[in-house]
Amino acid sequence: MVLKPFVALYRRFLIGLTVMALLVACTGQPAISTQPPEPSPSPVTASTPTPLPPTPTPEPTATPIPTPTVIAPTANLTEGCVENYDPAVDYFPEKVSSEDATGFAVEYFNNYKVVTVLNPWRGAQEQFRYVIVQCGTPAPTGIENALVIAAPAGRVIAMSTTQLPHLEKLGLLDRLIGLDSFLYVNNPKVQTLIQSGVLVEIGGGAEVNVEKTIEAQPDLVMTYGVGDPQYDAHPKLLEAGIPTVINAEYMESTPLGRSEWLKFTALFFNREGKAQAEYAAMKQRYLAVAEKVKHVSNKPTVVSGMASKDKWRVPGGGSYFARLILDAGGAYLWADDSSAGSMQLAFEEVYDRAINADVWLLTAFRRYDSIKAILEDEPRYAGLAAVKSGNVWNYDKRVNENGGNDYWETGIGNPDILLADLARIFHPELMADHEPVFWRQIPAQP
Amino acid sequence: MNLSLPRAGQASDRPASPFPPLGMRRAMWLVLIALVAAAFVASLALGAVRIPPEEVLRALVGGRTSKDTWQTIVLTFRLPKAITALLAGAALGAAGLQMQTLFRNPLADPFVLGISSGASLGVALMVLGGAAVSAGVFGRTAFLGEFGLVTAAALGAGAIFVVVLTIARRVQSVVTLLVLGLMIGYLTGAAVSLLIYFSIPEQVAAYVNWTFGSFGGVTWQQMRVFAPASLIGLAMALVGVKPLNALLLGENYARSLGVNVRAARWWVTASASLLAGAVTAFCGPIGFLGVAVPHLCRALFATHDHRVLMPAVILLGAALALIFDLIAQMPGARLTLPINVVTAAFGAPIVLWVILRRQRFARV
Repeated sequence: MVLKPFVALYRRFLIGLTVMALLVACTGQPAISTQPPEPSPSPVTASTPTPLPPTPTPEPTATPIPTPTVIAPTANLTEGCVENYDPAVDYFPEKVSSEDATGFAVEYFNNYKVVTVLNPWRGAQEQFRYVIVQCGTPAPTGIENALVIAAPAGRVIAMSTTQLPHLEKLGLLDRLIGLDSFLYVNNPKVQTLIQSGVLVEIGGGAEVNVEKTIEAQPDLVMTYGVGDPQYDAHPKLLEAGIPTVINAEYMESTPLGRSEWLKFTALFFNREGKAQAEYAAMKQRYLAVAEKVKHVSNKPTVVSGMASKDKWRVPGGGSYFARLILDAGGAYLWADDSSAGSMQLAFEEVYDRAINADVWLLTAFRRYDSIKAILEDEPRYAGLAAVKSGNVWNYDKRVNENGGNDYWETGIGNPDILLADLARIFHPELMADHEPVFWRQIPAQP
Repeated sequence: MNLSLPRAGQASDRPASPFPPLGMRRAMWLVLIALVAAAFVASLALGAVRIPPEEVLRALVGGRTSKDTWQTIVLTFRLPKAITALLAGAALGAAGLQMQTLFRNPLADPFVLGISSGASLGVALMVLGGAAVSAGVFGRTAFLGEFGLVTAAALGAGAIFVVVLTIARRVQSVVTLLVLGLMIGYLTGAAVSLLIYFSIPEQVAAYVNWTFGSFGGVTWQQMRVFAPASLIGLAMALVGVKPLNALLLGENYARSLGVNVRAARWWVTASASLLAGAVTAFCGPIGFLGVAVPHLCRALFATHDHRVLMPAVILLGAALALIFDLIAQMPGARLTLPINVVTAAFGAPIVLWVILRRQRFARV
């Protein structure tokens, strides 16, 4: 009996380890939080071939002729079902192809597509395969270990705020019927939906409320996985027969790759045309900023993260964040490292390397009102050059009242804005027309 | 509820076990002291940043190192950490010994009274509940910083400390104290789980980070509280060794010897709570050392006499804390481990080996 407190401690410790693993997996940042698309710079209305609206497909409803007079569709069917199936027709004239994302692969067939999530979480031994079948057409047989899902999905539940910008860009917010949690949403449109009571809140991870989910009758639940049944929602949901797919955008190691999962989402709604256009436009904006700062000769050195006691967690050199710093014309101090997650280093090692760093990007959850407050917490930061010069930034400019940071919502979905923000921090002279959207410079005094 | 696991009570009646021979005791003391000194020096000299020994020495005596950061690293990172590990290890060893004797239970640890549960709750309230509780007054996350964590842990541990002492003065039996500790553990566990359930990942991470424990978070400013608190606790522990010996033989026996059992119990409780509270508040819940060190010392010195054991656990606790912290730093490697991982991973096999070996001798 005396063991009890000890066991409890140990158990807490295990939980801790797992949570930390999750955080590490996400580049030292919370995987999952929250954010809505913001009204900022570019509402991303692509100027590219906007995929025509539903342009129905196959046929008039009259169902008159039993013969192959099916007219081949020129756009994907984004609404409703095929009424006269013709195996010879390609029902997906609009297709996606991924350029930067490496975590999923799609294969198109006439009336279905097979998408494989290659790398669902760090160290995953399994892959997830989904057969997305045009509704109104027969599902293929003989594909093993695959979940069959009808497209276009009509009712969707999003289990991570990082998915919201994608839904918004694809014009699918009206199909959103639920979220894991309402607390951390920043997107004004989604907040309106929450207030009007049309969304259900089903809980995240292993705490997901299966009964509520079944009752909501989703056509699609999009979640993420960390590979531990104690923390994942999909095992329970799949067991209950709910069409649940893993969106592993957080595993991508480049900012563009992460946002390209927009195309993955689009697959389930036949919105490939829209996704291609949106992504192309965003990538163009991203590359334009990158080009602007590419040839600058003075690249400020950058340190990121904060110490906790004598440890300091820094993003790995192969992480999406390191890539963002590089593309924004900064010199990341751990660029030589290749790990895609984050690294737990000794404070003294970071101190030794970062003593002369020009810029300090905090990525702190706590909202410090001044550098003075940071030093009260940990006086040892005082020696850092960035602290002396006041070049200290945190990404907490847009945080909702529950602590949901829009960086993890709108930000992740719009890497062009993230890049412009960092470029503005590193090279204010080149980016004078851009006011940082997510990053806030911390004043020396309150 | 059979608490009186017999070993502690009976062993002292038994002829001293043959391991190690009595003549080795003096050597043992020298070895222990040398071990503490060596570990202390090593933890100043070794770290993630490679600093030549002569530079470390120069920094310590106040000279200028050839690289400015080295001086800062030695004086504000390594030195306070080494002192913290030294004191915390000693404190945990002493408090563990006190609790094992008080409850006559070899599984008791310094936290059996619920002190660390109180600290956990304090931290959890501050970190996880901070959003709700302090929103209006201090701004959303006003207390999330390191200093806030220490304050919260100290307040939580202190509150439980007061409760435990108040009750310890009245209760007739240690079992009541033990149950009290257990119940405090359950209550705070429930509260912490509830807070975690409603918290966002960043908050949970901050809390989990704290539960990993660390000797490296104590700054010189915090040392002004931590060092006196643990030194007072250690002094109280050393002063209280005689009643501990009496308690070892059972409360009735102690009474027949003229020991004021209630006062003795209170003294031991106060000292152990102070030690456990100080360590938990400043270093987080450091596991294992408190259970293991007393067992190791009993085996090494082959005695149950607290006049020997108490200084022994203080020395060995300090030495092990320093050594485990060195292992956690993994000098030369890039990454570091949480101290609690190391204490359990390296400590458990050592204790198992010592105890099994001792059993074998005892049976012969």
